[in-house]
Amino acid sequence: MPLEILLVLVVGGIVGITVLLHLTGKSRIRALTPESVRSEWLRHAPDDDIIDITIAHDRRSALIRTETGNGLLWSFGADTVARHLLDFDWLEHPEGFEVQFHDFSTPKVIIRLDEFERPHWQHLMDPA
Amino acid sequence: MTDQVNFPDAVQWAVPFFIAAILAEFLWIAIKGKGGRYETRDAVTSLIMGAGNIASGFLLGFIAYAFFMWLWQITPLNLGTSIPVIILCFVLDDLRYYWVHRFGHRIRWVWASHVNHHSSQHYNLTTALRQTWTYTFTFMMVVRAPLILLGFHPAMVLFCGGLNLIYQFWIHTEAIGKMPRWFEAVMNTPSHHRAHHGRNARYLDCNYAGVFIIWDKMFGTFVPEQEDDRVDFGLVHNIGTFNPLRVAFHEWVSIWRDATQPGLTLRERLAYCFAPPGYSHDGSRDNSEQIKTKHLARHPEDRGTPGFEQFVAEMPDTKVKQA
Repeated sequence: MPLEILLVLVVGGIVGITVLLHLTGKSRIRALTPESVRSEWLRHAPDDDIIDITIAHDRRSALIRTETGNGLLWSFGADTVARHLLDFDWLEHPEGFEVQFHDFSTPKVIIRLDEFERPHWQHLMDPA
Repeated sequence: MTDQVNFPDAVQWAVPFFIAAILAEFLWIAIKGKGGRYETRDAVTSLIMGAGNIASGFLLGFIAYAFFMWLWQITPLNLGTSIPVIILCFVLDDLRYYWVHRFGHRIRWVWASHVNHHSSQHYNLTTALRQTWTYTFTFMMVVRAPLILLGFHPAMVLFCGGLNLIYQFWIHTEAIGKMPRWFEAVMNTPSHHRAHHGRNARYLDCNYAGVFIIWDKMFGTFVPEQEDDRVDFGLVHNIGTFNPLRVAFHEWVSIWRDATQPGLTLRERLAYCFAPPGYSHDGSRDNSEQIKTKHLARHPEDRGTPGFEQFVAEMPDTKVKQA
């Protein structure tokens, strides 16, 4: 196949499918609920015993306390990603906190928090 | 042997079909309200990975091709290009695919290339295009050497490999449940390949087939999709990025970080490169067998069922390590 035609097909295909998906509402971010956070956390970490769950008001992030330590679960497109809070840094961010994981496959996540929930999350993540 | 043999690049010619099929699957899901899920950034990442795979073929494909042509020059055998020979080549190349794919899940160096194909939590036709950019660096082209030394022309072998990949495109869908029984018995199908993409303990390291599922049945890696254990797509530790560069290279970066950490023996460094995924020198990670063992500790009723056959006997002394 001539390279120019292949290029047009590939670029046109990617752009066209992207526009189609976006315009049909497939870019919506998943909203978390206490039930979904619990089931999603156990999907990612089935050995854990959950103590309690704190969901951010924007319903995109949740802090999970387990018998073995804290974890973070957040919306990732239509799905979720979860990490135990073991090797990480957290920084102040204009919208809340930025958590950096020192992991090339999951570099960081921004937890959006309002002014009321920020101190509570700060205490949960760094009780000292 | 230097005789000129030309075969088309089948994958390139299939690009219009790929696009049309993705649109058809999307419409089917939209109309029926079932049969899969699409998400914009996930799909775009998969499509860019597919485009990058074609680009890497242009940039690096000459390495494998030069190797194959060198083999072709030293072999005294030439089976020609008749239809029966092409069919035989296709079947044997599918056997080659089975083993390369199996190595891709059991050797971390090869997994580093293949992992990106499993990195989506979705399973639709765009997932089929989420292909590696780094296959050349796995050196798995050597597994094709016997075919060429047996007298199959390199161009024909690559053509058959392209047809193999095209076949595998349509099985990346939730829109098709089960095919007719005879077909499921012989061919790789959406059902069999869904199981392969599962991160459930049951489905880890199963169904490596490309076209013919018989290889898995022959070599003991076949696990049928279970109605009571819905496939959960993705990686055991799902990644948190849609960035194609991170998707393509994250496992290579992890290998580098693991193998170069201070205080390891040479054996441990090599194990981080070539042992099955999940290896760790300090036992802080789980490989697939350990994940299955832990699953059975939580669900002993699954012992001996598909995917857990190797755990038939009761093992009362097995100690399950805490995560």
